[in-house]
Amino acid sequence: MAKLNVEIVTPEKRLVQLEADEIIAPGALGLFGVRPGHTPLISVMAPGLLTVRDGATTQKYFVSGGFVEVGPEQVRVLADSAQTPESIDVAATRKKLEAAEEALATLTGPNDLAYEAAVTSVAREKARIAAAAQK
Amino acid sequence: MVAAAKLRKAQDAIVSARPYAQTLGKIISEVMARSEPGSLGHPLLEQRPAKNVEVLLVTSDRGLAGGFNANVIRRVSKFIKEEGPQYKSVTLSTVGRKGNDFFKNRSTPVRKDNPGLLAKVKYESAADIAQELSARFAKGELDAVYICYNEFRSAISQQVVFNRLLPFETPDTSSNATGAASVDFEYEPSSQEVLNKLLPQALAIKVYRALLESVASEHGARMTAMENATTNASDMIGKLTLFYNRTRQAVITKELMEIVSGAEALK
Repeated sequence: MAKLNVEIVTPEKRLVQLEADEIIAPGALGLFGVRPGHTPLISVMAPGLLTVRDGATTQKYFVSGGFVEVGPEQVRVLADSAQTPESIDVAATRKKLEAAEEALATLTGPNDLAYEAAVTSVAREKARIAAAAQK
Repeated sequence: MVAAAKLRKAQDAIVSARPYAQTLGKIISEVMARSEPGSLGHPLLEQRPAKNVEVLLVTSDRGLAGGFNANVIRRVSKFIKEEGPQYKSVTLSTVGRKGNDFFKNRSTPVRKDNPGLLAKVKYESAADIAQELSARFAKGELDAVYICYNEFRSAISQQVVFNRLLPFETPDTSSNATGAASVDFEYEPSSQEVLNKLLPQALAIKVYRALLESVASEHGARMTAMENATTNASDMIGKLTLFYNRTRQAVITKELMEIVSGAEALK
């Protein structure tokens, strides 16, 4: 069966390039799976776990947001940042989450840019902790 | 030699940032080309008469790099002098201490300095700068944003680049170069949503690239400057050694002459 050519790139480097049977990505509207022959799709990603399955092996990456570009034979993941769940530093993440929640508590208007930044930061760090928990 | 090692690292960073930037650029032109002209709008695309202009100046933190900082500073000064009067205000934001030091005491105000991020260029710091600028642009405080930095050509050559960051220049959609082979993508949640996320990202990438280019250029320039300094110093050492030997020989000759003439006189 045809395989997917998966490429995960972050602004700082190309993380991995590999062949896979299926990937499951955290889309902005929920998780979605991609197999070879998928219709071309560009989706915004939410922070969450990206699963790459090839035969019996699965690899998971935590992505903090970005885009997925899906073609029939290839998938390009443009992640803002990506890391393996094992490398998540839960304690540091907790600290960041607390800082973001504190910042959120002091801010009032939802029109504020800082407010938006705090909201996304809270969501991101929560997702990071969840990802570390379910590896 | 230190600069040479740093230069290689900086070059690697430029190369590894490339795939992301290219793919992102491709997606943007894809989104723009696929949509009806005018159907997609974004605050960062809005063109308006430029009244308040900001220049983001990228220099280095340290000197001793030949004309590296002087070149960009001169370019920005030229812009302020020649084109500045037609705008209501021109402000600066700076990356790198040298640019900030230069403009601190001049008439053009430095609105924001971004200190201490050149030691290790991170994508996040570039994203922060981009976000700050685009927020001000979207609010209407700025009508145009330019960036000035040294582009890396090779280890011995840098070129000053002066580009517009905002309003965002849409990739040329009229040429069908990308359209020909392109497929009809589906967008999730929608093409507008995708564009909303894409543009700030693309801007951050532009700033990030400028920072990387600048850092690589800095090391290249410093390497050349240091090499020139070494060559000049050894030239000077050669000249001085020659001068020293000549003088010493002259003294010896003089003393010998005196002794000989003294001995002659006693005869």
